Amino acid sequence: MKARSLVLAGASLALGGVLLWAYLHFVWYAGPTLTWKRSGIDYELLAPRMLGIALLAPYFLWMIGRSLADLPVAQRVLSVLLRVAFVGVLALGLARLARTATTQKVCTVYVVDVSDSVPDAALVDAKDAVQAALDARPKDDLVRLVTFAKRPRAVPLADDAKQAPVIERHGPGLGGATDIASALQLAYGLFPEGYLRRAVVLSDGVQTDGDLLAEANRARGYGVKLYAIPYTRPVPGEVAVRDLRVPEHVHEGETFDVHAQVFSSVPQRVKLVLKQGDMINGLDGVKDVDLVAGDNDVSFKSRAAVPGEVTYAIEASGAAQDRFVENNRATAVAAVIGKPVVLYVDGNPARASYLASALAAQELNVDTSDPLPTSLREAERYDFIVLSDMPAERVSMTQQETIEQYVRDLGGGFLFAGGESGYGLGGWYHTTIERILPVRMDAEKRKDEPEVAMCLVIDRSGSMSGLPLDMAKQAAKATADTLSGDDLLEVIAFDSQPTRIVHMTAAKHIQAGGGTEIFPALDAAYQALSTTRAKKKHVILLTDGQAPQNGIRDLVQAMAAENITVSTVGLGGGVDETLLRMISDVGGGRFYKVADPQSLPRIFTRETEMVSRSAAVEEYFQPHVVSPADFLRGIDIASAPFLHGYVATKLKPPPAQEILESELQEPILARWHVGLGWTLAWTSDVKNLWAVEWLRWPQWGQMWGQLVREHMRQKRRQVFDMRAEIDPATGHVHAVLDAIGVDDRFQNGLDAALTLTGPMGTPTSATRKVPMPQTAPGRYEADFPLDRYGSFLLHAALEKAIDDGHGNMKSATVAESFGHVTNPYPREYLALAPDVATLGHAVEATGGSLDPAPAAVFDPAGEVIKYHEDLWPRFVGVAIALFLLDLLVRRVRIFDRKKTARPSVKAAA
Amino acid sequence: MILAGLTLLQLAGIFGAAAFGVTVLYILKLRRRVVAVPFSPLWERILRDKEATSLFSKLKRLLSLLLQLALLALLVLALGDPRAAESLIKGRTVVVLVDASASMQATDVAPSRLEVAKDEVKKIVRGLGGADRMLVAQMDAMVTPLGPMTGDTSALERELDGVRATDTRADYPRALRFAGDVLRGVDRGEIVVVSDGALGEASDASGPVHLGDAELSFVKVGTSDRNVGITQFSVRRYPLDKNRYEVMLELVNTGAAAEAVELQLLGDGALVDLTKLRLQPGERLPRFYPQLSGASRTLDDGQHDALPADDHAFALLPERRRAKVLVVTAGNTYLEAALLLDEYLDVTDVAPGAYTAAVAKGGWDTVVFDGVTPAEMPKANALYLDPRGPGSPVKVGAALVQPGFDKIDRKHPAVKFLALDDVNVSAGHKLEPQTGDKVLGASDGGASPLLIAGMRGGFRFVAVGFDVRDSDLPLRTAWPLFIVDCINWFTDEDAQYLSSFRTGEVWRIPVLTGVAQATVKLPDGTSQAVPVHEGRAVMLGEHAGFYELVAGEQDTQFAASMLDASESAIAPQTPPAVDGKTPGAPQGFHVGVRREIWIYLLLAAALLTMLEWATYHRRMTV
Repeated sequence: MKARSLVLAGASLALGGVLLWAYLHFVWYAGPTLTWKRSGIDYELLAPRMLGIALLAPYFLWMIGRSLADLPVAQRVLSVLLRVAFVGVLALGLARLARTATTQKVCTVYVVDVSDSVPDAALVDAKDAVQAALDARPKDDLVRLVTFAKRPRAVPLADDAKQAPVIERHGPGLGGATDIASALQLAYGLFPEGYLRRAVVLSDGVQTDGDLLAEANRARGYGVKLYAIPYTRPVPGEVAVRDLRVPEHVHEGETFDVHAQVFSSVPQRVKLVLKQGDMINGLDGVKDVDLVAGDNDVSFKSRAAVPGEVTYAIEASGAAQDRFVENNRATAVAAVIGKPVVLYVDGNPARASYLASALAAQELNVDTSDPLPTSLREAERYDFIVLSDMPAERVSMTQQETIEQYVRDLGGGFLFAGGESGYGLGGWYHTTIERILPVRMDAEKRKDEPEVAMCLVIDRSGSMSGLPLDMAKQAAKATADTLSGDDLLEVIAFDSQPTRIVHMTAAKHIQAGGGTEIFPALDAAYQALSTTRAKKKHVILLTDGQAPQNGIRDLVQAMAAENITVSTVGLGGGVDETLLRMISDVGGGRFYKVADPQSLPRIFTRETEMVSRSAAVEEYFQPHVVSPADFLRGIDIASAPFLHGYVATKLKPPPAQEILESELQEPILARWHVGLGWTLAWTSDVKNLWAVEWLRWPQWGQMWGQLVREHMRQKRRQVFDMRAEIDPATGHVHAVLDAIGVDDRFQNGLDAALTLTGPMGTPTSATRKVPMPQTAPGRYEADFPLDRYGSFLLHAALEKAIDDGHGNMKSATVAESFGHVTNPYPREYLALAPDVATLGHAVEATGGSLDPAPAAVFDPAGEVIKYHEDLWPRFVGVAIALFLLDLLVRRVRIFDRKKTARPSVKAAA
Repeated sequence: MILAGLTLLQLAGIFGAAAFGVTVLYILKLRRRVVAVPFSPLWERILRDKEATSLFSKLKRLLSLLLQLALLALLVLALGDPRAAESLIKGRTVVVLVDASASMQATDVAPSRLEVAKDEVKKIVRGLGGADRMLVAQMDAMVTPLGPMTGDTSALERELDGVRATDTRADYPRALRFAGDVLRGVDRGEIVVVSDGALGEASDASGPVHLGDAELSFVKVGTSDRNVGITQFSVRRYPLDKNRYEVMLELVNTGAAAEAVELQLLGDGALVDLTKLRLQPGERLPRFYPQLSGASRTLDDGQHDALPADDHAFALLPERRRAKVLVVTAGNTYLEAALLLDEYLDVTDVAPGAYTAAVAKGGWDTVVFDGVTPAEMPKANALYLDPRGPGSPVKVGAALVQPGFDKIDRKHPAVKFLALDDVNVSAGHKLEPQTGDKVLGASDGGASPLLIAGMRGGFRFVAVGFDVRDSDLPLRTAWPLFIVDCINWFTDEDAQYLSSFRTGEVWRIPVLTGVAQATVKLPDGTSQAVPVHEGRAVMLGEHAGFYELVAGEQDTQFAASMLDASESAIAPQTPPAVDGKTPGAPQGFHVGVRREIWIYLLLAAALLTMLEWATYHRRMTV
């Protein structure tokens, strides 16, 4: 007995050990679930660790060994087997054995459009369709319901519902959009597991958000078969302004067409009013139009008088049949480009009219009254600056530097035209302007030029001491610099007596002395010059005081008779202006009244240039083209008349480009890039002196017009294409800018930003800036949501970091782009005809059909769906059966039923 | 309490029948064995004792019966699958939004952020209360519920396994709006967002998202911010020199440490460029490869780091197809010479008499009519040089003497880069455009159109109002370019081509044949049918790589890339407040409480069966 118990205990232990090992090895460490496949069916244990319950089996075995129950051995064995089976079945149930099973039950979601574009009668039809579905529904199948406009809503519907609920709209303000895709996404969440998925879309197919076709693809991916029932109710009479189109750019004063696209569902008459700004459009404001059914193109003539943005608004009224008033209005913005502005500053304003009127005739706005700008801010409004025949002393350093910055940083165009005060003649040598021009002004004199004998007569009276005399010395030095080696120079310093200084080096010996005696000094100059052999003889007299006039007139007349010219320079307020003016008039020279001694060197240089005329070439000549330029297209320079003179200059090395040159191979017209802009040098003049014959040349105006247009500020030149539209699926503005240079190169690495202004013409107009990152070579894109309605103006600025000339990098706009988008009203009111084609394509993509019969949507059509079938209830059922059997085995003696005979009875018998 | 399994009636039936059986078995007395004993008075005492304890014995038997009945009750009740009724305890309704956007593919947490996110959601599922219900939705460019709103935790766990990462960005506002729609009118609604948090503001074209009464909580996944991503990659042919192209790519280091990367540019699978780069934290590095040429069609670009999804970008060179051109001419050397310029033209010359037979063959991309105008327009794009008569697409008006191009529409692709301003023409005709036509060039200050482009019957045309031989146009560079530009415009082969689509957007791929469905082969090799609407195949792109579209006879390749700087920025973060609600950690999901009562019933049954077994065999119960 004891041995048997021990054997059983040992067997229990051994069994327990084996089971534990198997459990750990095959179950515990195998992962959270166990799957296998048998005859095409997937089986899965969702909680295999629960199989651990089966580890109780040895316990039952061990217990049976200690049993006190009066049961035959066979029954005991049977009982323990049944109990172990019972526990095993329970363990399998708890381990959640499941398998994939197939079914053909169908769940159909009705997705009903209740947006504003759907007429009330269609909603009744929709309810009828749902009712028909409920009536046709097989017993085990389900119907679900979703209504949608801007957003979807699940409508509660019991599994066994017999009555379709009333289809209701979503309330004010929520019906102004249609998003079928979102409604389908909500519907996916309504299909229970183990049902074939069907969705029936009841809609007019007009969607304002989302994309039904793309969603149909996804729907098929999720096993949803789509059907659609397009609304068939006639669209109520409707008039809508779908679009208002204006040209992207119009020029100031230009007449252009404004096109309105007006939709009407029935032929009818409407009144269209077009407003320009707040006023009715002047040329063509009010029209009564007989619309045909469908889209109508109505055009209005308009003209924009002022540069800037002009808003157009159109409104349709008086239609006999019109459902929505929201869509009777549309706006658009036109960017009116003003004419380019040219600043033209001439040293002699009286003669500025020749070029000014020629440029004005070329559709340019010419400003001749303003002075040269002194800051970039002032300069910004000009597209081109012309500086003509202006002596250097009348242009301040600030103005010169402003011009340089204007060209270099703002990309402006600058033309420097010659004349008697141009280039070297105007004292421009060694100035900022000379630095930025493509020509040099230190033209070497040619050998056949006349020799010059120059005499400087410089006052060294007591009042000149200090700065004036220092400046006079510097002026003398400058004069010597300007003259060439062959020229002769005399310097005579005078106070009460003249002192002749023969060589330049002696100029430094000039010291301040006593009174002012002009006559002897001039006389000394006369004597010196009259004995000198030179083609040109000239005296410059510098004084700051009064002097007796006796005999001076006669002396100067005598000098004039010998071709000796005299110019006078009066320094300070105390000069005898009458005397000096008389001397210069009689002496055939010029009189300068100077307040600031600092300007003396400049005046002397200029005088020297004027006299020596080393720079001026006064000959008749015809310029010829050296290198072709775009602005010369259509202009035949060979047919041009003679020019009468120019200022000799030398072309700077490349990239300076010579366009026209004289017969002496000296530049007449040259250009080069300075920073972002251009500077051009025209060494002849632009008025009736040297260019007098050109003024009558028919192509005079055209040449200057084209020259200005080609070289004016890049702002007007580098305008890139921009395409902007509103994506109907997302409501986003998508703007694409293609920056491709004329040289076929993509403009890369620019910093692009888009400024959106609008809604135009409303008090709530606001400006918003969005970055436009580069997305491809030469392409910049922006994509952003737009949640307001109206017309919006887009302006893209492309900036580039450039060197400002001082080693600092700063950003400058190199190109720009214009566009506009119109988002007139919610898109729900934009499309008015049902879009059955989209519905058709969508259902086709999923294998469904249009207008299905109610029974068809519950037809599995041979389709089966796999679902997860939990098998644990079956195991519980089996467990109950085992439990009863076990009980039977324990409570009914099955084996060993025979009675054991009593030996005594047996013996008695 | 409700019963999800068998009904109460069925359970009562089963229990009744089984309990009856059990009771009957207990009423039946176990038949005793007859045992012969040698001396009965000895046993009488035992029997006497037994009688004394018979009451106790009866009790033991009753206890045994009760135990059996309890065991039976547990089993039968389990069959009913009882659940806590919603009406009894107001459960929560939870919408879990699982971010499946590209950044969730990051491997900074093993095995990936998405897998960790799924595990997080599973924890929440296991922590659902008895009356709670949950819906799991995948959030990427779209939002996709993976199953119905349910309290069945095993179904929810199964659904979670269906979440797949896409190469798109997460559309957070869309997902929140979806959750809001699901939770509309629900009392205890809760939205749980499981994400790495690079979700941006919850606002779209319809304005900011409103959540109503729903609570918002957030589970953050991910640890690292180290990533270098390709955020731009495209290729574009030059507008004029179409044999050459330029490649642009942009790398961004979104992490807080400098990174060294190796960049490979592959053309048609072969290495074009290999560069080692070092990017500073936050650096954005654009690179351009200008003036590339060769027969490359595909471009692939790659480097390697924590987020593999943005380490590769794909682009496809705009394909140059040979355009079939039919030239109807009695002989025009200038025209023939101009058509020789572009090697991608397949030119056939026919005499005017042979035109009808030639055009009937079909398949022409362009027909050029040189001084000939057929009575009917061909079913192809057409260039009319000096059109005449009723067959002309535009009415031919009065004769013009020495017209010129005073006004030119320089934006039109057919004349965009051409210098036509000073072309000299000896004689021509004024053309009269119809509505919708574009006047490309006009004489007399714009009053007499000479060059018109437009559409007729779905095909494009360009009409030139003079015989080019009556002008100096053929002697200019502009002439061959004009012919080529016209053909390029007809065949739409211009610089507008998109070398790569972006994932997460709805793609509209041009389909030239008139089929209603096209087949798209995805980068993973599977095929998918897509609907064609208005000449475009429409599909939502979710994965980067090379695709192939087959529509009838058309077989085109196209590429798609992610190229999204916000997805490349993988630093985990907490999304901003939505509708005034700052998302905190989800509360009240405690792991350990199973909501399936039947499990507990069966476990209790197993326990009871052990107890019963012991008591029975030790004769504590009989």
